[in-house]
Amino acid sequence: MQRLDRLERVTDLLLVLLETTTPLSLREIAHRVPGYPESHAARRQAFERDKRLLRDEGVPVLVIPIEGEDQLGYRVDPDSYYLPDLGLEAEEQAALNLAVAGVHFGQPIGRDALVKLGAGGESAVRSTGPPLVDLRSVEALPALPVVFDAIRQSALIEFSYRGERRHVDVAGLRFRKGYWYLVGFDRDRGEARTFRVDRIEGMPDIGQPSSSELPSDFDVDSSFDRDPWQFGSGEELEVDVLIDGVASGRVIAELGSDAVLERRDDNTIVVRLSVTDVGALTLWVLDLLDHAEVLGPPEVRSAVVERLRASLDGGQH
Amino acid sequence: MATDTGVRLRRLLAILAWLAQVGEAPIDEVAVQFDLTPEALVTELEMAACCGVPPYTPDQLMEIVVSDTTVSVHVGTALARPRRLTPPEGLALAASARALLAVSGSDDNGALSRALTKLDRALGGEEIEVELDAPQFLPLVREAVDREGRLLVTYYSASTDHVSERRISPRRVFASEGHWYADAWCETAGDVRRFRIDRMYSASPVEESPGQAGGAGGVTPADPDLNLDAFVPDSDSATVRISLEPADSWLVESIPATRPPIEVDGRVEYEFFVGGDAWLERLLLRLGPNARVVGPPEFAATRADAARRILQRYQGT
Repeated sequence: MQRLDRLERVTDLLLVLLETTTPLSLREIAHRVPGYPESHAARRQAFERDKRLLRDEGVPVLVIPIEGEDQLGYRVDPDSYYLPDLGLEAEEQAALNLAVAGVHFGQPIGRDALVKLGAGGESAVRSTGPPLVDLRSVEALPALPVVFDAIRQSALIEFSYRGERRHVDVAGLRFRKGYWYLVGFDRDRGEARTFRVDRIEGMPDIGQPSSSELPSDFDVDSSFDRDPWQFGSGEELEVDVLIDGVASGRVIAELGSDAVLERRDDNTIVVRLSVTDVGALTLWVLDLLDHAEVLGPPEVRSAVVERLRASLDGGQH
Repeated sequence: MATDTGVRLRRLLAILAWLAQVGEAPIDEVAVQFDLTPEALVTELEMAACCGVPPYTPDQLMEIVVSDTTVSVHVGTALARPRRLTPPEGLALAASARALLAVSGSDDNGALSRALTKLDRALGGEEIEVELDAPQFLPLVREAVDREGRLLVTYYSASTDHVSERRISPRRVFASEGHWYADAWCETAGDVRRFRIDRMYSASPVEESPGQAGGAGGVTPADPDLNLDAFVPDSDSATVRISLEPADSWLVESIPATRPPIEVDGRVEYEFFVGGDAWLERLLLRLGPNARVVGPPEFAATRADAARRILQRYQGT
């Protein structure tokens, strides 16, 4: 009995908890599921380990007060265990298969999901060529599914970011220019904030379902800080940058033509940017080498000049 | 050990639900689909055949028949239906579908949009958005890949900071880290090159005279292996050694290094392939005065020279 494969015991436990319509005490469970130790303490310990394993695997094990000396009963609610029928037509299923094959996002995960949705056969879920779009894999961003789960459950989320603890009512996830962003209401600062998911330190803690108190008029799109120089906490400055004809084409492609303040005959342009992080703006301007020049305001222009002057020596300090 | 049982449980439940849908399937195919050896698959299924709920009536026992080459499963109702998607699975589906929808022309019959609406309704995911750039010449380049044709492009190379005209045969298009790329045979360079499509300032199809092959001779077909690195170093690329404060390491985390970083006198020393003169100027300006070029000597003055050149724009400040 003790040498039984633990997987067999856990599978039996899952079947018993799914099948029962009334909560079962540990005594009743041990009677139905082979493999639990005889002594009460050891049995309780083994059961608690199995229960944690089931929960870690996403099985919603309910704990319910019952009459009698055991006091606690257990069951699994079938409605929250099974996937609801999505009613996907064959053509829609095929389109999803193609999407998962065409996008690099942690292949086995998307494939596992497709198998649950009923994609049959090897060929349907195996990618035939290199993916068209790379979204960075889920494995590289462990916090991302947690943020997604918080949105689905309208739960408050807590995490460390730039060395500070943040409490955020999550409103949305955005993928832009190679990065995933979380947009939400930062309770500690009392305002909307955008966070880069790859900069979240460790795993976020997720609160109870419906614990989020997102302001009802919160708008994800208008709260989303799109460009790196909008991420700061500084005063908002209007910065004008001159871009020469060599670089103007790709800068317009990057910022959109709304940012263009002035166009000159030699394809030179002036763009106006709304900036709260002068450091981030400086890096963007330096990336353009001698194709860009900050025209004003004066304090931003001198910040760039200072940075350049500091780069003139060998950097031996 | 606990995780190991968890992984096996997750896989077993997926296999059972999938087999319950298809009825019978070749052992080899099932094994490949779930990343198991055929022997391991049969062992897991034989174990599962022993599971059930007392009093072990036939409707609750799993009937698993293993022949030489196939396996068929008639699972009792409990494990025949698929489980709910985990947060990573739900996210993978929602994000992949949105990414593909962001590529124009990938959902002409609307099936993917309809599938996504049904997914969102059941799983929640409305607050996710995937933005992909839509560079002007993307459709033209994709079309050139499809018809194996050639393009005449004016291209800005960030590594050399020069604009040049090139005749190219695009062979593969993909999006990575927020940008669209084309791998193409470049007649000007006489080699395969990777182009960022938003850096094409102009592009037009090259008219092929009748009888002439669409693609130029010597075209290398797209490498079927997954390679999403945006920068592909040549074997003869120059290298540079740069030493950083440990706190600045994150600034270079996405740059491919020739070897793991080493610690020297409390600083961290990296060696990178040099992607071009302008590439190195940008990197050194971005890293700032605290970074030092350790070698080779030809790059010792690169940062100061670039800073001096850019400062000329700011003369009279």
